[in-house]
Parts: sequence; C-alpha cells; structure tokens
Amino acid sequence: MQDRFLSYALLVPAFVIVVATTIYPLAYSFITSFREWDLTRQRTPDDFVGLQNYAHAVAETGFQNSLWVTVIFVVASVVLTLVLAMSLALLLRRRGPLHTFTRIILILPFAMSPALIGVSYRFMFNPEFGVLAVGLGSIFPGLKGTPWLADPDLAMAVLVVTDVWHWTPYMTFMCLGGLASIPRETEEAARIDGASGFRVIWEIVLPQMKGVLLVTAILKTIFALKMFDQVVTLTGGGPGTSTETLAYFVFNVGFKWYDMGYASALAWILTLIMMVISAWYVRMLLSDKNTATA
Amino acid sequence: MTEVRLVDIEKRYGGFLALPKQSLTIEAGEFLVLLGPSGCGKTTTMRMIAGLEDITSGDVLIDNDRVNDKPPKDRDIAMVFQNYGLYPHMTVAQNIGYPLKLRGISKAECTARVLEIAEKVELEELLKRRPSELSGGQRQRVALARAIIRTPKIFLMDEPLSNLDAKLRVTMRAELKHLHHELGVTTIYVTHDQMEAMTLATRIAVMREGRIVQLDTPKKIYSEPVDLFVAGFIGSPSMNLIKGEVENGFFVAKGVKIPVQFSDRCDVVLGVRPEDLEIVERQRANIMAPVYALELTGDATLVTIKDGATSICVRGPADFEANIDEVCHIAPRKPEKLHLFDKSTGERLNS
Repeated sequence: MQDRFLSYALLVPAFVIVVATTIYPLAYSFITSFREWDLTRQRTPDDFVGLQNYAHAVAETGFQNSLWVTVIFVVASVVLTLVLAMSLALLLRRRGPLHTFTRIILILPFAMSPALIGVSYRFMFNPEFGVLAVGLGSIFPGLKGTPWLADPDLAMAVLVVTDVWHWTPYMTFMCLGGLASIPRETEEAARIDGASGFRVIWEIVLPQMKGVLLVTAILKTIFALKMFDQVVTLTGGGPGTSTETLAYFVFNVGFKWYDMGYASALAWILTLIMMVISAWYVRMLLSDKNTATA
Repeated sequence: MTEVRLVDIEKRYGGFLALPKQSLTIEAGEFLVLLGPSGCGKTTTMRMIAGLEDITSGDVLIDNDRVNDKPPKDRDIAMVFQNYGLYPHMTVAQNIGYPLKLRGISKAECTARVLEIAEKVELEELLKRRPSELSGGQRQRVALARAIIRTPKIFLMDEPLSNLDAKLRVTMRAELKHLHHELGVTTIYVTHDQMEAMTLATRIAVMREGRIVQLDTPKKIYSEPVDLFVAGFIGSPSMNLIKGEVENGFFVAKGVKIPVQFSDRCDVVLGVRPEDLEIVERQRANIMAPVYALELTGDATLVTIKDGATSICVRGPADFEANIDEVCHIAPRKPEKLHLFDKSTGERLNS
C-alpha cells in the first residue's frame, strides 16, 4: 500500500504543473468563450451569453477574412514545403562528403527563431535596400522597385516563402528518415524489372513513403494553422488584413481590443479545426495497409 | 540462349580493391553458381552483371554486346533478391505483373500472363494479398514469378533460398532446378551454401577474396579440388585435412601411415573425404586412433577419431558401435581418392 501511495505522490508535481498550465487555461478559455467579457470595462467575466460569441464569429467579416487567409496560407505552405522537402531528401539521400555536409548545414534555417526570420525577411524584401528585393530587381528588371510587402498578394507570397524556408529543412530530415527505411532491394528490383528513374520514384519510392508523408503533412498543417510570429514581425497582418491569419486575429481580438469572450470562442474554433484535420489524417494513416512494409 | 562474358573486370571502392582483374565466361543456357564465403565478392560480381554496381575497369558482354554503360532496365535480365525485394504497396498480382506493366503490355494480356505464371508457382489463391501477408516461402515464389514472367535473357539469383527454413529450401531447390530445365535461361546464382551449389550448378565458380579459385563442374570440384580452400569448403562433413610428410612412399603423421605414390617431401597436407575412408580390422589399418565422438546420421555413423592434433572423421556403417577412447582402425577405400596439398601454398600436389 505504501508503494502505491508513493507512486501517486511522485506523480503529483507533474500533474499539478499540467493542470495549472494546460488543463486549467483550456477549461477556463472554454467557459469564457460562452461569456461576455470586455477587459477594458471589468476585471472578471460577465454573464453567460450562450453561443453568441460563436454566432458573432460566423457572421463577422474579420473572422471570415482571417479564416480565408489561413486556408490559403496553410495550403500553400504545406504543399510547397512537402514537395520541396521530398525533392531535397531524394537529392540528399546518397552518401558522400558533400551530401553529409549539406545535410548538416540544412538545419540552420530551422534553428532560427520565427520572429527573427520575419524581421530578417522584412529587411531583405525592402524595395530600396533589401538584398532580395534589389537582387531580384537586378536579375529580372521588371521586378525592380516592386513593393513586396505593400501588395496584398505579394505580402502573402513572402509570408509563405519565409515559412517554407523555415520548415523545409526539418521536413527534409523526416523524409530522409523515411527514405532510409525503404528496403533498397525494392528500388533495385524495379530498375531491373525495367523502370526508368522517374517511375522508380513515382511508383515504388513514393507509395512506400505514404506514411511518412502523411505524418509530415499533419505536423506541417498544425504548425501552419498556428502561424503567428512571422505575421507579427514581417507584415503585421497587412497590408490591410491581407495576411491576418487566425492566430493573429485571435491575438488582436484578445489583446488589442480586450474582447476576451470573443477571443476565447475564436481560439476554440481554431482548436476544433485542428482537431478535425488531425483526426482525418490519422484515420487515413491507420486505414492505410500499404504503409506496413513486407 | 545467351552467353555472358566478363572480361578483366575489376572493382575498387576508393582505394580498396574488392575484386582484382577477373575473367569468366558463362555459357548459353548454363546454370553457373558463384560460391564462396561471405565477403568473397560473389554478390558484387553479380551486381556488376545486373548493372546495379559500376565496373571500375573491364567489360561485361551479354551476347557479345558490351553493356557496361547500359542501365539495368536495358540489359534484359531478371533478378531474385535474398530479401525478395517485393513491392510492399502492391498486391501479389501487381508485383508479378509489374515488369509487364513497365513494358506497356495491355491490361488484359497482363492479367492473363500473371494468372498463367501464378499457376506455375502455385500462387493463384494468393493473388490479391499483399507481400506482408505472405510466408517466407510464398514471398520467395512471388519473387520467382516476377522474374520468370517475361522470359529474360539472364536470371540472376542472389542467395534466394537463404531466408527459408531447411525443409523449404530443399523443396525450392528442386523447383529452381526444374524451372531452369524447363525455361533453359542462362542462370547465375550466388550462394555460400556448398550443398546448394553442388545440387544446382552446371558449373561452379568457387571464389575467395575476390578471385575465382576454381571453375569446374560440381563433380570435378568435389573429386579434384585445386587447393586446400576448395577442399575444405566443399562437402559436408568436410574433407579430412591431415598435416604430415611423405617418407619412402608413405604419408606419415601421428597415428597415420598411408602408402602414396609421391616423392619424399615435408610439410604436406593429406586430404581424404569421410566417405572415402572405411573402418577395417587391425591388420589392414593405415590409421589408428582412439574414438572421440560418434554421430548417427540415420544412414551412416560419423566416427571422429582424435590423436593429439590430428582429428579424422570417417563415414562408417549405421550399425557401427564403439566406446569412446576405444582404438579404431581405419583405411582409405581407394588410393586415387587421396589428395595431397602443399602446406604453405595450399596448392594441390598430385593429380
């Protein structure tokens, strides 16, 4: 009996920390999402208003806009990151000093803070003195003086580029790991059976990578849905609201306008979206018998 | 039918010489086995023929056509891998049909061919399964079916039976032999199992440290090994190798005195297979030593006698009985079955 008591006692610190930092805030924000609470007027939450906050979100253009912005951002960054990561992994999987060196330095972008990436890219895309903006302008004269961050579509493109730049290395490592687990004989057998290099990759390698690519896609989607840091430091959600992602919108509602009830409801909508997407991915992953190797 | 010629092929990995210059001709329709211990270069040789490994120097000729720079897909070969190399995401039918699909053969014809081949290797019940749902022997048959579906010029088999259990290995061995007889395709087969080599091969190339030490029919390799390495590698239980010397027409070692037709010489090794020795009465004995172990194999008893460093195994009758440490008397059956080797170079002395 004493052992049992001890084992519970040892669990208490971890349990307390998780409850205090995760469970309690989650539950609190969930309850708050059904209440009216303007932080500029009162220090404690006001009356319960039922689903009013959620109804407000669905009707409000600010939310609709941020949802649309988020969808575009997620699709663009997930697709680009995965395609690039898989391609790089295919190039880098061979052994050799150059390959190893490249694999090592590849980690650098991932080691950088997202907020700093935003600041750096804002400098680099400054139309007058930014190295990328000027560089692109001198290679393609038509792009000279392009106001990269002042144009809604271009600002979104730059935001996607920073995120893809940040995440591709990590995802490349995941793909390299997946590639390493594919039995070499399957590729060799296909080459002998008469497959061209492209068909070996398309018909033999990629199908065997399905499981890894799905996991990579889940992770990247969740990270992209939370996109916040670079929005703050690169575009500030602008020009206008053209790069205002859901996470950034929630932050504005909560900590600029102090509408805590509404912000909590928005945060929970974002959480629900993530849960639905993750559940869908996991179902795909589990239902896929092909990922089991022979 | 196709002839394969390897002319002065050499393989280096950086500074390491894996295969020194080597030539080998595999005749049309032949079943050639590359036999040797692991790391002897037999798989590398096969992979160079397949095009999976670059050739450092020399030429590979398939039907007099230099294929050094041709990718594997243009060499018209089929290969069976040790780990089968099946495509895990495809069904058995898709696996077998993949080589046809790659050649743009119509779906209907492909399905018909797959069914025909599947019947041949008794897989027709399993066509819809995936490789992960098959046993080792079934996977092996899928790999085989995939190789034979398009009748290539050459079959390459890289230890295809080594992942199977002993009983299945014997069955599959017979199937492979029958298949070769039926299709008549030139086959190159890699193994480290001398039994497989003996039973399957038209000719065996015994390899050691990258070199082909002996290339001959199984019969010849068994009866006339060129050196100590081949003598010890082929045969189970392996050949008795006794160190001693030749003196006045007798091979002499501790407890051993056998007449041989050879001039006097020190540092010789006498080789004699267990089945070429017999247990005799005392007067006729050339070898005398106490019994060390008795092993009944069913149809015979393997008797090991040991005197100091000399240990000799003889294949005696199944009903032979003796006590351990009891002295046993042995003589060779035929003088021509005695092999003499040079102790330092390992080379064969008598012919």
